[in-house]
Amino acid sequence: MKKLLLVAAISALCATAFAQGKDLKVAIDATYEPFTFKTADGKPTGFDVDIASALCEQIKRKCVFVEQPWDGMIPGLMAKKYDVIISSMSITEDRLKQVDFTDKYYNTPSKVVLKKDIKFSGPASIKGKKIGVLKASTQEKYALGELKTAGVDVVSYDAQDQVYLDIKAGRLDGTVADILEVGGGFLSKPGGENYQFVGSELYIPKYFGTGAGVALRKGQPDLKKEISAAIKAIRANGKYKTINDKYFKFDVYGK
Amino acid sequence: MTSYFWVILDGALLTVGVSLMSLLVAIVFGLTGAAAKLSGRPILVGLSTFYTTIIRGIPDLVLMLLVFYGGTIGINTLLEKLGSEATVDIEPFTAGFLTIGFIYGAYMTETFRGAILSIPKGQMEAAWAFGMGRTQTFVRITLPQMVRYALPGFTNNWLVMIKATALVSLIGLQEMTYLAKQASAATRSPFAFFLFTGALFLIYSSASLFVLKKINARYSLGTKRGVL
Repeated sequence: MKKLLLVAAISALCATAFAQGKDLKVAIDATYEPFTFKTADGKPTGFDVDIASALCEQIKRKCVFVEQPWDGMIPGLMAKKYDVIISSMSITEDRLKQVDFTDKYYNTPSKVVLKKDIKFSGPASIKGKKIGVLKASTQEKYALGELKTAGVDVVSYDAQDQVYLDIKAGRLDGTVADILEVGGGFLSKPGGENYQFVGSELYIPKYFGTGAGVALRKGQPDLKKEISAAIKAIRANGKYKTINDKYFKFDVYGK
Repeated sequence: MTSYFWVILDGALLTVGVSLMSLLVAIVFGLTGAAAKLSGRPILVGLSTFYTTIIRGIPDLVLMLLVFYGGTIGINTLLEKLGSEATVDIEPFTAGFLTIGFIYGAYMTETFRGAILSIPKGQMEAAWAFGMGRTQTFVRITLPQMVRYALPGFTNNWLVMIKATALVSLIGLQEMTYLAKQASAATRSPFAFFLFTGALFLIYSSASLFVLKKINARYSLGTKRGVL
């Protein structure tokens, strides 16, 4: 009885929501075009948002989008502000210690980008060249693990945009980045025309994880199974392809 | 692209709202803290010293995360332990201004304490001699006089606090800095939006400086400039 009273008291003090309701609260950080971003009238949109809506439809729950900055993404999930994160979050070992992930819903590879006049035939062939990468990124992990050990000069930056600026300024010979990011943010822009992708698509799970998945709190095997099954279902019924083709020219699901 | 500017302007209203509410909370915490520090009672002095030391020694960002997420996780874990299915979601606007107010209350405590100490002791003693009680002395004698001494430090705290409101985006409130970030991500042209946001902050702080100057003039009546 005492317990019940305490529960009632705490609940009364705050706005409460029941975790098992019909709505599925989905966290997004709308600063990652074209995956999650906002239109000028303030509506969340993008590949992640469309996929989330399709998944909700599949599991017959209503998606309610909660906007959350990246820094507070996992704490907010732990604090039960929302039920899942569908915001291009890569499945990595570090994150798996804190949260659970469903199967991936996309996995875009990274690639090495170099000035067109540099010949590339593996890490050893660009020994002594300077490559810029984003600090604390999966690409930095790869560059330090595979390129630096082959004698490549790896420089880390706080933002990928700074890498592009330094390439244009002539201080770098290239970068390693997600192919969509570097395609949209650099290669297709003025100043990027003298650069190109080299080598093969990089999928190495040790560095890059296994793609982006739906993150949820631990201890919910049913929800995890349900969403993973929904991903398979929308892959099979063509919904995934429709959404994919709206944003990309190739299948971002990956291998 | 222009409609993104309207969205940011909307966020500016939120910034004004959060900062004014935070200021109220900070003043309450500041006055209470200062009174406790000057009370001479060991427990009160200890508590308020603990408050100002801890709060001023930890970065705002870390405190924000601790108070908001730590608090919510704590309450939810408690509910779970008690066997409840319900989850608690603290309303971000309230949580935002309470947290910022709580943090800046620590700075205000020191500002107010210094201001109260600057008032000649004879003023209070005269009030007591006239038979005024503690509260009456504070409201009629100490408060009006301390405003003048507190204003320079208060203005500093206020300006820093306005900018600290940008941190509330961390707990899911969409104030203008976060909206500018979203707009620049969607259009890939960051400078336009960040310059705009910077200008809005500048307008806001300039306007508040103007108001504070008026207040200063009002509370400096009857005193010579340059004489404190």
